[in-house]
Amino acid sequence: MSLVAAYLVPGNPLPYLRPENPPWAGIASACRAAGRSLSAARPDTILVYSTQWMAVLDQLWQMRRSFDDLHVDENWYEYGDLEYQITCDTELAAACVEGSKEIGISSKGVDYEKFPIDTGTIVANGFMNPGGRIPLTIGSNNLYHSFDDTVRLAEMAVDKANRMGRRVAILGIGGMSGSIFRHEIDITTDGIATAEDDEWNRKMLARIQQGGSVSELGAFAQEYAKAAKADMGFKHFGWVLGGLGRNISGAQIHAYGATYGSGAAVIEFRT
Amino acid sequence: MSGGEIVAGFIAPHPPHLVYGENPPQNEPRSQGGWEQLRWAYEKVRESIDELKPDVLLVHSPHWNTQLGHHFLGVPRLQGKSVDPIFPNLFRYTYDLNVDVELAQLACKYAREEGLVSKLMTNPRFRVDYGTITSLHLARPQWDIPVVGLSANNSPYYLTTEEGFAEMDLLGKATRKAIIESGRRAVLLCSATMSHRHFQEEPETPEDMSQEHPYSMEMYQWDMRLIKMMRDGEMSEVHKLLPEFVDIAFAEFKAGSFTWMCAAMEYPELPGELLGFGNVIGTGNAVFKWDLTKHGLATPADRWNGATSTTVPQPAFTPSATAPSGGSSGSVFSGDGPSIGARPLNS
Repeated sequence: MSLVAAYLVPGNPLPYLRPENPPWAGIASACRAAGRSLSAARPDTILVYSTQWMAVLDQLWQMRRSFDDLHVDENWYEYGDLEYQITCDTELAAACVEGSKEIGISSKGVDYEKFPIDTGTIVANGFMNPGGRIPLTIGSNNLYHSFDDTVRLAEMAVDKANRMGRRVAILGIGGMSGSIFRHEIDITTDGIATAEDDEWNRKMLARIQQGGSVSELGAFAQEYAKAAKADMGFKHFGWVLGGLGRNISGAQIHAYGATYGSGAAVIEFRT
Repeated sequence: MSGGEIVAGFIAPHPPHLVYGENPPQNEPRSQGGWEQLRWAYEKVRESIDELKPDVLLVHSPHWNTQLGHHFLGVPRLQGKSVDPIFPNLFRYTYDLNVDVELAQLACKYAREEGLVSKLMTNPRFRVDYGTITSLHLARPQWDIPVVGLSANNSPYYLTTEEGFAEMDLLGKATRKAIIESGRRAVLLCSATMSHRHFQEEPETPEDMSQEHPYSMEMYQWDMRLIKMMRDGEMSEVHKLLPEFVDIAFAEFKAGSFTWMCAAMEYPELPGELLGFGNVIGTGNAVFKWDLTKHGLATPADRWNGATSTTVPQPAFTPSATAPSGGSSGSVFSGDGPSIGARPLNS
């Protein structure tokens, strides 16, 4: 088995840009702890799926070798810039383009200077892989793909990595409940937008901790996604589930909290 | 100052394919043309703007999607390279635009007074979204008229479509008040596609027009139904039908640009002039004009000696005072948002 680590982390930039804010401090320190665990696992490549890299045509894979740039989030620009360095395992990405087609999903690679790497990928890379030391293989979130499509894509990516002899980590980037506060808040008092969202998030986290198969967890995840308006149908969890061979044997919740009302969790999965 | 006017509103859809088809020097990829009917429609927009002589172009873009409130570009000059994340093969555009910050500040202020959360975007490295850039390039490729860019708050997605449109109505009213107070002659651009269901695979040659057609007969018929009503000036009926149209045709009007524009123009019950229609990867795109000067609702350019000076208001910037946008050189903008005590960034 080439899979050496698996995580689910939030892509909201607020804990990264204001890690000292008490409601976000736990998420920030948990992301760093996950980064230390990731480093200790010594993967050759991190297989990344972020809900914020949205595509509508094809399954896109990032084929540019490196990025050293600066990004400003379209929502949270007032909190400052996001500098980033990212390197990519383009050989594995190319294999994933072909692999996507093999499983019936049209796909292509993208290799363009100044391609807008999404906030989620930048934040997770900054927390867990500062300096871009470990190469990433990054797949897009095609809005038309289902939870199951996402499971299959991750499964395929891990299989391709296996065949290439790579040690890989799998990283799903996205939030939990999706409702944010629609008014300005004192950020020191941030919390989950509604009690119902909080309850659903906790139920989902409990199920993840408990573990299970794709048929059990996938069905519940989709019910949860609908009830809690989870970020992009919680497909980033599908990515992790697929990468783990459609079965979770348990997980550690490093942190759970709010990002301007929406849910955020840092989860490390047993591999 | 007071006495500004909205002189016209345009539906100005933003498929990047149209810029790609034109091959302007700012865009890297080269094409063999394509989507001519829509590009010729935009030629008429360009001629109209020449005649209308506006001081400012305001554009509401669904691709600057904001979650917390309604945002306005608030930096005097924004430069950079915009690569479309969906169509990077078609759109890699180097832009350099001047913002009418004074008007943006006023609109932001009045939006707050209407009870909306609103923000002025002051980060000089902000990357302008491709919807804003595409509509502006197609309407005025010279980039010699200052602009005000407005984000599309995701309220119509979070709330019901009707509740979201109610927010866009308030945003339009706030925009109108700001324009009047500023003394500007303003043109509004609703940067949106009509039916928005599209093919999920791209032809090998994107500009192969033999591959282009409506997504479905149903989508085509809905587009034509709305267009006929707009041409006939049945605008109140259009607004009544809009939520159903959005629901069935997945219309990009859901993002609120059309409602914002009509609200700012005080919902004129006037026929719009259809300048052209075309499909882009199956979506329905209409280029429409409501010229208020032709209906006695605004002053024609040749009679304008209005409340403000007749010179185009220049944004208060000097090139040396602007920070480069989208690059990694120079100092990092540390943000003017909320902070918790003194601390270094990303500590």
